[in-house]
Amino acid sequence: MRKTIHWRFTLILLIVGFMTAVQYNTLKVPEIRDTRDIWAIRKELSSEKQSHSELLSEIRELDKTIHTYESLNNENAGQALSTTVDKLNRQAGRMDTIGPGIIVEVRPSAESVAFGIPITGISPDLLTRFVNELNRFKGIVLEIDGKRYTTLSSIRDINGVTAVNGINIATPPFTMKIISPTLSDSEKLYNFLSASTIQDDFYLDNFTLDIGKPIQELKISGWTEKFKNEFLKEIPKGE
Amino acid sequence: MTMWLPLLGLVLGISLGLVSDLQIPQVYGNYLSIAVLAALDTLFGGIRAHLQQVYDDKVFVSGFFFNIALAAALAFLGVHLGVDLYLAAVFAFGVRLFQNIAVIRRILLAKWTDREKKLNTNVPERKDLS
Repeated sequence: MRKTIHWRFTLILLIVGFMTAVQYNTLKVPEIRDTRDIWAIRKELSSEKQSHSELLSEIRELDKTIHTYESLNNENAGQALSTTVDKLNRQAGRMDTIGPGIIVEVRPSAESVAFGIPITGISPDLLTRFVNELNRFKGIVLEIDGKRYTTLSSIRDINGVTAVNGINIATPPFTMKIISPTLSDSEKLYNFLSASTIQDDFYLDNFTLDIGKPIQELKISGWTEKFKNEFLKEIPKGE
Repeated sequence: MTMWLPLLGLVLGISLGLVSDLQIPQVYGNYLSIAVLAALDTLFGGIRAHLQQVYDDKVFVSGFFFNIALAAALAFLGVHLGVDLYLAAVFAFGVRLFQNIAVIRRILLAKWTDREKKLNTNVPERKDLS
């Protein structure tokens, strides 16, 4: 009788010990030290706030679209849809755009002309780098040597010649047009490009970047090619 | 010898838990802590009953598991009702734990004083003999 009691106590104590150890393990999670200082936290906060406000404005825009759809009766539904299609076309870069912007000219550097170095085309890497620099700014519309640059556009080497959207770019000099949402945005972009090290990268390739002053009205024509729709499918009616 | 067996069980359980490095999510930490408390309460209750010669196997084992389950259920209900009901369990188990330990202490003290008395009564007898 005594022996069984001891065995039972042993078993129960084993369970108690195990539970206590697990609880200890759970509470003993290594503390991750927060080593950010106040400015790092503020920076994070400001970026979060920015994304918050962007999301809010997006929601507002979508709400407006829904409201438009709801307020229109059936006869005008077609019109509302065509407005939306127009807006989407504009977003996709298929419409002509007029707005404040700057013209950037890529030219062979004075030294390369003086030394008689043969002028080669701009490399796709350099052009991609330039586009990436521009993409720090939101809502810009870009045209490279007369080719509209959209989200679907490609910059690549085709038989040794750099091409945008599959069309060759001329050897420098050629121009690029950048339209910003407002004139002050254009000024910001102008200041940014003037101070950017991207100019040095161009200079290494024997090019200079001539950044024109912001102008009030610049026109960029839309992308005329058709979109290839690979992923979206039309839903059959009645579903 | 068998006296040390339960202690060995405790040490084995603790080392098993530490070695396995098992962790439960923070959310369930409350449940486990209250379960540990319930287990301790039952354990001391068992020791007390054993010392008072009223120990019953079935009561002890069923009480152990039932108390744990009840405590966890109470905590669960508390979470869903928005009332810290687990505090009730903590209070109840805490009070009982103290009472049980107090009773154990008294019984052990009584046993000890008994033995002392016996020794004291025995010593003069021996003196008389010598």
